[in-house]
Amino acid sequence: MVKIILLALISLTFLNASSFEENCLSCHGNDFKFNMMMKKYTQKYSSEKRIKEAIFDYLKEPTSEKSVLPYEYINRFGTKEKTTLDDKTLREMIDVYYDRFNLRSKIY
Amino acid sequence: MYKSEKQTIFYVLGLYLSSTLLLIATLFATYYFYKQDELMHAEREILKEYSSALEEKLLFVHENSDERYEYPRFENFKSAIYDIDKKLIFSTLDTKIDNLDKDFFFKGSNSYYISSLKPHYLGAAYSVVEKKRKPIDILNDLIITALIIITITIITSFFLVKLVLKPLRDNLRLLDNFIKETTHELNTPITTILANIETLDSKSCDEKSMRKLQRIKTASTTISNLYQDLVYLLLNHQISSQNEELNISEILNQRVHYFSQAANVKKLNLHVDIKEGVCFNADRQKIERLIDNILSNAIKYTNKSTTIKVVLTQHTFSVSDEGKGMSQDEIRTIFQRYRRFDKTQGGFGIGYSIIKSIIDEYCIKINIESELDKGTKVTLTW
Ligand code: HEC
Repeated sequence: MVKIILLALISLTFLNASSFEENCLSCHGNDFKFNMMMKKYTQKYSSEKRIKEAIFDYLKEPTSEKSVLPYEYINRFGTKEKTTLDDKTLREMIDVYYDRFNLRSKIY
Repeated sequence: MYKSEKQTIFYVLGLYLSSTLLLIATLFATYYFYKQDELMHAEREILKEYSSALEEKLLFVHENSDERYEYPRFENFKSAIYDIDKKLIFSTLDTKIDNLDKDFFFKGSNSYYISSLKPHYLGAAYSVVEKKRKPIDILNDLIITALIIITITIITSFFLVKLVLKPLRDNLRLLDNFIKETTHELNTPITTILANIETLDSKSCDEKSMRKLQRIKTASTTISNLYQDLVYLLLNHQISSQNEELNISEILNQRVHYFSQAANVKKLNLHVDIKEGVCFNADRQKIERLIDNILSNAIKYTNKSTTIKVVLTQHTFSVSDEGKGMSQDEIRTIFQRYRRFDKTQGGFGIGYSIIKSIIDEYCIKINIESELDKGTKVTLTW
């Protein structure tokens, strides 16, 4: 029983991780900007909860006002498309994004 | 120096000193709090500087690191950063800070400064800097200075009081000497009068002159008595008691005899019941003054042609008259008068003052029973 749950959990994280590669890294793959975007969000929103909330908000409805990226950048390339993911998966994706890129755990 | 004068000096000194001390205390307290405030302000400024140094470093680390972020550490202070939800991000502090609302405070031996940051580099919305508190040790210096000032004040004020009181004291001494000298001058004429009347007494003269002579004699006795009281009062605080075993019975007989003339003039019947051989250890002069004053009071206040009872037993001495008596209130005021005359010697009613001072010295109890229009009985018990 325990084994099954453990297995399920492992596969779930693995699934999440792999779907993060699919859902996000397909465009942001090895993108140094993905790191920079987290910095910008941290700088602006400070706490984990607020950062996640703001990203979620942005991905649901990207506008140039909400973007943390430099104005020139957005001006040139425009905002991204609205996400097609459902809320739950989107939140999971953001969780993985935060887990991997957040600054807090990298301070020493 | 007189007792009353000493007292005045103490009062004035006390008043002067307490007001000066109050002033000094207020000044020093104000200064102390002002200084403390100033030091606190300085402390706060230092912490503020530390805080901005930290912020600068945070910005630097935030911008220039990618993979890992090294938290800025400083030699002279410790720090911590919190996110906007007041959750700890990183800390080099030894203690935990629970309250991020106050911007400057002391805790234990440390002082803390909290500032809010924007933008939130490394996510920090609040920074806390901690520094060993600089001890505020002006208190010791202050106390020493205060003590020095106070001693100087005490010394100067002592001289000041002496200076101010000097003319007063001189006048008092002058008056005192005058009274003393006059009193001594009185001695000779009084003894002369009394001695001469005594010798005149035996010679035969007509009844009218005889009666006049008796009145003169009574009056002289009164003056002599008053003189004795005065001498007693004036010398009282200079001469210590010379106590000896006294035969009270003998002394009392003498004193009754001495007053018999005055009693005769008032047509008083002296009823004397004296137990023989009653002894008491005391100063002769004082006991005489005590007896004289009680007897002369009785003679003075009783009505004409009444009886005065003088009774001496082993442990009591009582004198009762049939005068107009006193009410309870009056008896009480007599005792009050004793008290009053304790402080201001001399003046009217010195008799009571003398009685009081002597019975107090020898622990003799006094009891005054009196009924209006019936008479007064004074009883001494030892
Ligand atoms: C179709 C390609 C694509 C995919 C898939 C994609 N992104 Fe993006 N993302 C972009 C582009 C292009 C931008 C830059 C334009 C912008 O910021 O709107 C961007 C910007 C962002 C930003 C910066 C937003 C800002 O404030 O400007 C975040 C955060 C982000 N993406 C997160 C994600 C996450 C999380 C996922 C996975 C759920 C994801 N992206 C998937 C293309 C993509």
